[in-house]
Amino acid sequence: METLDVIKTRAEAAVPGAQLALAPNGAVPAEASLVVDSAHAAAVARFLRDDPQLQLDYCSNVTGVDWLEASIKEKIKTRKLVDGVEKEVEETVEHKRPGHLEAVYHLYSMKLKHGPLVLRQRTANRVDQVRVASLTPVWRSAEFQEREAYDLFGIVFDGHPDLRRILMWDEFQDHPMRKDYVEPDDYEYEPTAHDDVLDKARRHYPVEEHP
Amino acid sequence: MPADGHPYLFLALFAGAAVVFCLSLLGLARLWAMLVSPAKPGPTKNAPYECSLASQGDAWVQFRSAYYLYAIIFLVFDVETVFLLPFAVAFTHLSVGAFVAMMVFLLLLVEGLVWAWRKGALAWH
Amino acid sequence: MIDEGLRSELSKQGVFTTTVGELYNWGRKNSIWPLNFGLACCAIEMIAASMARFDISRFGSEVFRPSPRQADLMIVAGTVTKKMAPQVVRLYNQMPEPKYVIAMGACAISGGPFKQGYNVLKGIDRYLPVDVHIPGCPPRPEALLHALITLQEKIAGQKLTGPERAPHLQEEAPSEYPIPDYGAYDLDPPKNPDVWQPPVLARKD
Repeated sequence: METLDVIKTRAEAAVPGAQLALAPNGAVPAEASLVVDSAHAAAVARFLRDDPQLQLDYCSNVTGVDWLEASIKEKIKTRKLVDGVEKEVEETVEHKRPGHLEAVYHLYSMKLKHGPLVLRQRTANRVDQVRVASLTPVWRSAEFQEREAYDLFGIVFDGHPDLRRILMWDEFQDHPMRKDYVEPDDYEYEPTAHDDVLDKARRHYPVEEHP
Repeated sequence: MPADGHPYLFLALFAGAAVVFCLSLLGLARLWAMLVSPAKPGPTKNAPYECSLASQGDAWVQFRSAYYLYAIIFLVFDVETVFLLPFAVAFTHLSVGAFVAMMVFLLLLVEGLVWAWRKGALAWH
Repeated sequence: MIDEGLRSELSKQGVFTTTVGELYNWGRKNSIWPLNFGLACCAIEMIAASMARFDISRFGSEVFRPSPRQADLMIVAGTVTKKMAPQVVRLYNQMPEPKYVIAMGACAISGGPFKQGYNVLKGIDRYLPVDVHIPGCPPRPEALLHALITLQEKIAGQKLTGPERAPHLQEEAPSEYPIPDYGAYDLDPPKNPDVWQPPVLARKD
């Protein structure tokens, strides 16, 4: 498969107006991914599927990621004048990353036997602007998994043919895989080694006092 | 078997004994249930069973009217089988008139089959 | 009534004596028909128990009924999710009396490895009266057979008359248990206090 840079350039040429970005991955596999804006996601997805050199015809999995608002510290080396001498100084720059949700698609090509290409869509925030474009019209296999991401993360997929909850019941209000999800407090009794669970359970113990 | 009785009297007695035996067992079970085991009906228990999910919609579903062709074909072969077997058993003793009558009957059935065939009922949709 | 000594003496002479209650319970305990349903991996062990190697039919329970109307025993084999719990309770309600429940495996008795999750019921005994609990993840088929034998012993010990008679013979004992509703965050109610109360722990702090 071509490198992500090449794919990005070609996709931008094929889909006018598409804003693509590369998201590096700091973990050991260093599997970078392609971030696409929701407005052009379907067109870019069609390009990835139909392009003769890519032919990513198989969407193996759709997942959601919940990114809380966080401040990220980066160390930047700059040259500065310290006491009249120019020195290399390490500075810590802190910048805020706004919270957002992410839908991640893993794409493979069955014909050309390559992959995966990781495609991401990001929502504007975690609260009210949680819409991304559904890629179910492009890859049919995404249907249930997008429903799952909607159910557990609350990402709304525009253009999905049947966007309902799939794992939780229809009356359920929350999205359990979000990081700020508060689970129902029903630990009446819990002999466990986990202290936080034990604390929760302890509030409910009917305790028989020792004389 | 009584020597002077009807040859089928034994069968009638046998059937009667079988019915009485079954009914007496059922009656005993009913008596036992009435005496010791109280009935406990309830709204869920009496609800129509549907894989434990609450029933939705109507059980009266409409079928496509094209299915009547399958019913006709089934009837053709079914009736044919029912009459062909005794026909084959009694074949050597039959008079010419009976043979011709049977052939006319078969012709009627075959005519039905041909009609259904031409309607396209045997083609796979 | 005959006393035990006379009974054993008679049986030595080849005379078998019994009471109506014993005969009734003997018939019941050797023809327990389980409901044919499985919820998770424990069901595979339940299926194995019904196959030739473990052969649950030795105990008269090979007739797995696909309808609750004909079943005596509900083997809750596997994880009961909160979405599934109302269906399980409704199936139990639709079973005719007398009926028994075996909770099979860690999930069915307590939620098991999913206990601290958001979607798994922390034990089916929050809604149903469980007769036999089997621990294990999943329990071996032998464990299920042991549970069945335990249940048979329990049935054999049930009385037909008197205030301590079997629940299905009592007019006032409930046959149906309330089916929980799907709430906004959890099942409503989260447990049936008539069936299950959290255990009282004696501790100092």
